[in-house]
Amino acid sequence: MAHPAHYREAHPMVFVLTHWINLIAMVSLAFSGFYIHYPFFAGFMGVARGMHFFFMFVLIINLTFRIIAAFFVKSAVSLGSREVDTDIKNWLPQKANRHQFLAWIKYYLFMKKDHPLGAKYGVLQKIAYIATVPLTFVMAYTGFSIWGPTMDWSFFSAGAGWVGGYMYMRVIHYFLMWVFIVFTAIHAYLANVEGFAPSGLIFAWKESEGLHFDKEGNPAGGKAH
Amino acid sequence: MAHGNHDALYSQLAARGVTRRDFLKFCGSIATLMGLAETAIPQIAAAVEAAALTPRAPALWINGGACTGCTESMAQGMTPDVATVVLDLLSLNYFETVMMAQGGPEMIPGYQEGVVEAKPELTAEGAIKTMLEEGGYILIFEGTVMTGFGGNALRIAGKSQTEELPEICKNAAAIVAVGSCAVDGGWVAARPNPAEGKGIQQFCKDEGIATPVINLPTCPVNPEWVVAMVIDVLLLGQLESGAILDKLDDFGRPSLIFGQTIHDNCPRRGHFENGEFVYEFGSAEEAKGYCLYAVGCKGPQTFTNCPIVRWNDGASWCVESGAPCIGCGNANPLSPGGNWVDVGAPFLNRMPDLPIAGTTFQPSTIGAAVGAVAAGALLVHGIGMKVAGRMDGGAPYEDVRAHDRKKGGGK
Ligand code: HEM
Ligand code: HEM
Ligand code: HEM
Ligand code: SF4
Repeated sequence: MAHPAHYREAHPMVFVLTHWINLIAMVSLAFSGFYIHYPFFAGFMGVARGMHFFFMFVLIINLTFRIIAAFFVKSAVSLGSREVDTDIKNWLPQKANRHQFLAWIKYYLFMKKDHPLGAKYGVLQKIAYIATVPLTFVMAYTGFSIWGPTMDWSFFSAGAGWVGGYMYMRVIHYFLMWVFIVFTAIHAYLANVEGFAPSGLIFAWKESEGLHFDKEGNPAGGKAH
Repeated sequence: MAHGNHDALYSQLAARGVTRRDFLKFCGSIATLMGLAETAIPQIAAAVEAAALTPRAPALWINGGACTGCTESMAQGMTPDVATVVLDLLSLNYFETVMMAQGGPEMIPGYQEGVVEAKPELTAEGAIKTMLEEGGYILIFEGTVMTGFGGNALRIAGKSQTEELPEICKNAAAIVAVGSCAVDGGWVAARPNPAEGKGIQQFCKDEGIATPVINLPTCPVNPEWVVAMVIDVLLLGQLESGAILDKLDDFGRPSLIFGQTIHDNCPRRGHFENGEFVYEFGSAEEAKGYCLYAVGCKGPQTFTNCPIVRWNDGASWCVESGAPCIGCGNANPLSPGGNWVDVGAPFLNRMPDLPIAGTTFQPSTIGAAVGAVAAGALLVHGIGMKVAGRMDGGAPYEDVRAHDRKKGGGK
């Protein structure tokens, strides 16, 4: 039993909402995407495309909003703390994340027994979250490159020429879907494997007690127990 | 005088079964393909007249490595359409395929016996020579430029084509690449491309030839487009002012002809939106004329106006006659491997096979495999977490970071 406390300051209400919107958009896009890729039952193409074209805007607007909000909203400096600072500082690598990369890899590969110290998030967790931002924009780029109304904008058609045509742009878009699926699977697994407290907070905004940490990411009041 | 010209043209057309009315109607459809208003019809007719009645044909048709299907598409032996007749008037049909027997003077009957005097201008070889010397013609090129085997994949009259081609391209005012092979190598250049085929635009680029190239992909080419482009080039000033190049897209294709997807104008599109698909040939869905998306139709990413112009004098076209579009209009002139066969095969699948480690895979197989590996890895990891007793809150935290400990820190 060694999990940190989960306080609302870690995920202020706006980010609970952006995470929900993001999740719903992703699930809708992946489902409609699978259908567009191959219509595995009859009678749904119009709806599937409508869904896809709606949620692709939801996804991008939501992400853009999330990024802007990061500069204005304050969130907890580390898990298990109520001390807050501008969110973007906690979202990008923090001082407490330094030199911990190998420790996290070893921990996940069962080569290290005790839990590495993190900051707001662990090193790998941060890499994964930060990667979702460019990944979503690349997804949007490949999507708009195969979307009728935008595909002939030279910004998009140049990319289509570069990858060898619209068919390959579709193949890339399709592969990126699998990247998102794999990301989400790993992410949902890691978020829940050591207990459901993190999910309780990000989905239901439910607090739970646990270890406290200071802003250097060290156990508050000395050693962890 | 001008009147006399009119009559001369119309009698030539009439001799081939094309009435004045057919001709003007045809000029109207050409105007549409060129993006001109109906008021341009007299201008187009005049351009054809002027060109048809000059002593030297303005266009020259040369074949590279091809199935000759584009020639077939133009020739339509039984019922030549107006486009074919007009092109006949405009071009010197130096079809190597059909004129081979006319080659050099030794091919003129009686020459070798000394009965007939050699008149070089009467031979195909002689005619092309004059044209090359004078320059300024429109080169219509069909087929792939096959650069492999030292150019010996295609030899004409003892010479490899790649030896002759640079001069032919250099002296042309413009090149019209007809058919996908001429545009980017087409199926001749498909994997593994032993003949090292490429399109004429790539060939010109490699040879440092600056002649503008107009690309007209599809397999075979649509005769109406060919004539529209030849006339477009002929219309005064188009080439000099660069106006014609402004009408081309990123792939050197006239945007008006290649600006919309087949899917945009497809008569089966209603079925697509309703989710009514043919999943198997010979099924009830096929009989109902449902959308061919699930059997690999490439209409959604193929840019041609086939559904509007159609083929064989407007009789029909692939999707209308029941075959999924195989994307022969996809072209990527300056990107080797971008030809429609590599991009589209296997034709009845939605996505192409991707070459990996010596064999090929479908993207969905790759996706599912990656997904399965990830799921398996997580499962194994989950068992590990259970065994390690980390499921309930994880392992206890380290008291100090390994790096800090090494530095002699720690509490
Ligand atoms: C981020 C913005 C996105 C945009 C602008 C976008 C746009 C598009 C467009 C225009 C299509 C083609 C639809 C058609 O032609 O009928 C498409 C197909 C598809 N999308 Fe997206 N999409 C986005 C995000 C996503 C996401 C997040 C996923 C999955 C996680 C996804 C999965 C797919 C799949 C699998 C296809 C089918 C590709 C094919 O087989 O041709 N898309 N998308
Ligand atoms: C299966 C569904 C999902 C579950 C159970 C889930 C769970 C969670 C949890 C528990 C957290 C908080 C982590 C912590 O406090 O330690 C979180 C944060 C986050 N999740 Fe998810 N998530 C899901 C889907 C997604 C998807 C589809 C994406 C994006 C592709 C995503 C991106 C993120 C990001 C970027 C964060 C950081 C929080 C923020 O930036 O506001 N999640 N998720
Ligand atoms: C990779 C290159 C080529 C392949 C794989 C190929 C293949 C074929 C095949 C399978 C046939 C049918 C033979 C039959 O009826 O039994 C054929 C016929 C023909 N090919 Fe090709 N060909 C190629 C290149 C060419 C080239 C470069 C030309 C001319 C420049 C050409 C001109 C013809 C003609 C005129 C026929 C019809 C012959 C007839 O009707 O008897 N082919 N070709
Ligand atoms: S048959 Fe092909 S082009 Fe026509 S609607 Fe279906 S997918 Fe589109």
